[in-house]
Amino acid sequence: MIGRLRLAASALGLALALVPSAHAEPALPPPYAGAYQPQGVDEQGLWRQMDEEERRFAESDMVIRDEALNTYVRKVLCDTVGQDRCGATRVYIVRVPWFNASMSPNGLMQVYSGLLLRVHSEAELGAVLGHEFGHFEARHSLEELKARRSGTDVLSWALVLANLAPSYDMVRAYRDLQLTIIGNFYRFNRDQEREADGLGIRYLNSSMLRPQAAAQVWERLMAEFAADARAKGLKKPRFDRIPFYSTHPPEAERAATLALLARPDAAQRDDGATRYRAALAPWIPQLLDDQIKLNDFGASEFLIQSLAEGGWTAPLWHARGELHRMRGAPRDLANAATFYGEAVALDPNHAEAHRGLGLSLLKTGQPGPGQQALRRYLTLKPDAPDAKLIGMMIPQEVPAP
Amino acid sequence: MRQGFTLPAQSGKTILLLRPAIKVSEQSTGGLPEPRAEWTDQARAHIDAALVEVQRQLGNTVIVAPEAYGEDARRVAEHMALFGAVSEAVIQYQFFVGNRLPTKKRDNKAGQFDWSLGPEVARLPGADQADYALFLYTNDQYGSTGRKMLQIVGLVAGVGVTSGVHAGYAGLVDLKTGDLLWLNADGQMGGDVREAEGARKRVRQLLEDFPGSAIPKEDAAPTVQPEATP
Amino acid sequence: MNFRPIFRIAALALAMFALTPTTASAHKLRERGVAVTIADSPLTVTPARDWNRLDGHIGKHVESWTLDGGQLNDVTFYAGIEPGKPLLRERSKKREPLPKFSAATLLVELPELLETTYRSYKQIADFRVVNVQPARFLGQDGVLFTYEYVDQDELTRQGEANAAIIGGRLYMVSFDAPRLHYFARGIEDFRRLVETARLP
Repeated sequence: MIGRLRLAASALGLALALVPSAHAEPALPPPYAGAYQPQGVDEQGLWRQMDEEERRFAESDMVIRDEALNTYVRKVLCDTVGQDRCGATRVYIVRVPWFNASMSPNGLMQVYSGLLLRVHSEAELGAVLGHEFGHFEARHSLEELKARRSGTDVLSWALVLANLAPSYDMVRAYRDLQLTIIGNFYRFNRDQEREADGLGIRYLNSSMLRPQAAAQVWERLMAEFAADARAKGLKKPRFDRIPFYSTHPPEAERAATLALLARPDAAQRDDGATRYRAALAPWIPQLLDDQIKLNDFGASEFLIQSLAEGGWTAPLWHARGELHRMRGAPRDLANAATFYGEAVALDPNHAEAHRGLGLSLLKTGQPGPGQQALRRYLTLKPDAPDAKLIGMMIPQEVPAP
Repeated sequence: MRQGFTLPAQSGKTILLLRPAIKVSEQSTGGLPEPRAEWTDQARAHIDAALVEVQRQLGNTVIVAPEAYGEDARRVAEHMALFGAVSEAVIQYQFFVGNRLPTKKRDNKAGQFDWSLGPEVARLPGADQADYALFLYTNDQYGSTGRKMLQIVGLVAGVGVTSGVHAGYAGLVDLKTGDLLWLNADGQMGGDVREAEGARKRVRQLLEDFPGSAIPKEDAAPTVQPEATP
Repeated sequence: MNFRPIFRIAALALAMFALTPTTASAHKLRERGVAVTIADSPLTVTPARDWNRLDGHIGKHVESWTLDGGQLNDVTFYAGIEPGKPLLRERSKKREPLPKFSAATLLVELPELLETTYRSYKQIADFRVVNVQPARFLGQDGVLFTYEYVDQDELTRQGEANAAIIGGRLYMVSFDAPRLHYFARGIEDFRRLVETARLP
């Protein structure tokens, strides 16, 4: 089946000779003419159900509904795969602090908030979404399903159904070793992953974005896992937890393939890092908070540092302070005070950073400056949920006339 | 069954049928459920069809809850999730021999069955047109290869290891008070809901002994029913 | 604090125990008006109504009570957590460490200790501390805080907790229940229970 697909793809490639390049690169299939159309009464029934499920999905408390963010992520998808292709796609962002994205046969794409925290540019985000779109366009999930079903011709669109709704069962399933990556719960085989990679990179090649970014995403993810393992004193990083590892070509091959496929003349293109940082800026504090509170010190520290490669900001320093203060060993507290200090130096009105600074100073034997920082916190945020309690930690001053 | 609750056949009461919450997944070796979308879809389709069949057998007017959107949809979802939790609690803590809460054991002795979803049920879409609501919930986890292996090993060792969890609940709720009037639940339900016949069987099992119904009893897996015995 | 696996175990056990004659329940009655100690500690409470103490051991010096079942109302006592220890027993100290209470932890940091414990233990991302107030607990200055979260079973739960640090150890009692109907239904019983909590 895969063989036939490849044949089809290369036949199309011959038919549509694109801009000649140094590589013998097959062209992209023609723009996808919208989602698959259901055939027959049974399928239509299922299709109707699927739309209903999508409505249920949209109601979920786990969906992040912010219009600006949704518009932006859609834009990156469209920039990557082209307007014709992204037209029928619905993108949902869900508040789950892990790296994943998935796409259903009917064009519903979901993006985890943990993914948004881990990519640093439009090109990187496009690489991941494009890879997923590649599975969709090559109909891998349909193939899988057809291969598995026995006895009936009716396609089950439920691929998306109840299980598409973000749920903690799904999240836990993702954490399980046997799951594949960026994906739904099918085990795409290695050939299919290669194919999706190929398609993904070809989208990027044809777009305005820098295709070399694709390999960076995987490398950084592996580095994160290595950092986490080191911090936990584990010998081997759980690379097999990056599902892509279990079904994908081994790392060297993959990074090399992606690098080769990426058009060299495209290396000078914009990767949209600045635009990406700007669009995500309002969300980074919450995404970092969700990550830090998972209590994975090594991974969180790595993520903060890698985000800081684009320049330290007050929210990044604050997050680093929180991370260290919460681990709470004496040296951590001293470091936390330094980090919070950096945050307020960059942004004197960052109320939370003053709070963190105050608490850290108090706990490292500097009550004077500590109380001063807490006082500043209360001035900036008099209606904070813990204002009263913090107020009790500061000696009462004679009220100003 | 709530003390003193009867629902005679053809009593002229209306029952609101809420869209079943159905989840079918595969248990990995570690026991975590991996949802299998196509199974869930099949299950839903088959269970829907089976429900239509039994409606007239229930002996009362049954109306299907209308499509819900926005706030209404969230309300339904929260009630459904709460129904799952309440049913689970009833089984675990009032009926499951060996796990009963002492206060619930006392309730059993006194014939008390005191469980509720709360009065907010009156705000469910369609609630104004019915007297009772029928909640259906099934969560099936089929054993994966890993667990099947464990099962075989277990058999040899003389230890029982179930392959898969098959939980199903059907509950009748008073739409004025939210009180749970009747619950049928079985942690070991029969019928493979991925097949049409299995779904019919499951629905029959769930609605067994439904007050006033004409559904014949199945002599399948044992059901957990409220008893007044210690 | 209630966690999901209980049901799966129970369902598995159904097959094993279904035919066994009635065994004494592992859950114990906590009778109205009778003072009892909590989790091998000096802490005592005197319930104003009958409660059930849940069997199970989710942590050292931790004990849970309920009226209708952990998933519907859960009172968890943390009776003297020592510095350097987590609130609950870790599934794997190395791979899945939980946040630790420390000698340096301040009262105002206790809500975040509970939050981080819940988030990492239950692997959830939707948790919000709603309110934090100074309040007396066990005869000392302590903290009273409320929170809301979407739990593993996708049901939104509300919580209220009282905590204090006494003799270098953490004492805390929390009440978690579904936001729909059950939190309001159980909160007064919880507060009455907390009022009777005593340390010698």
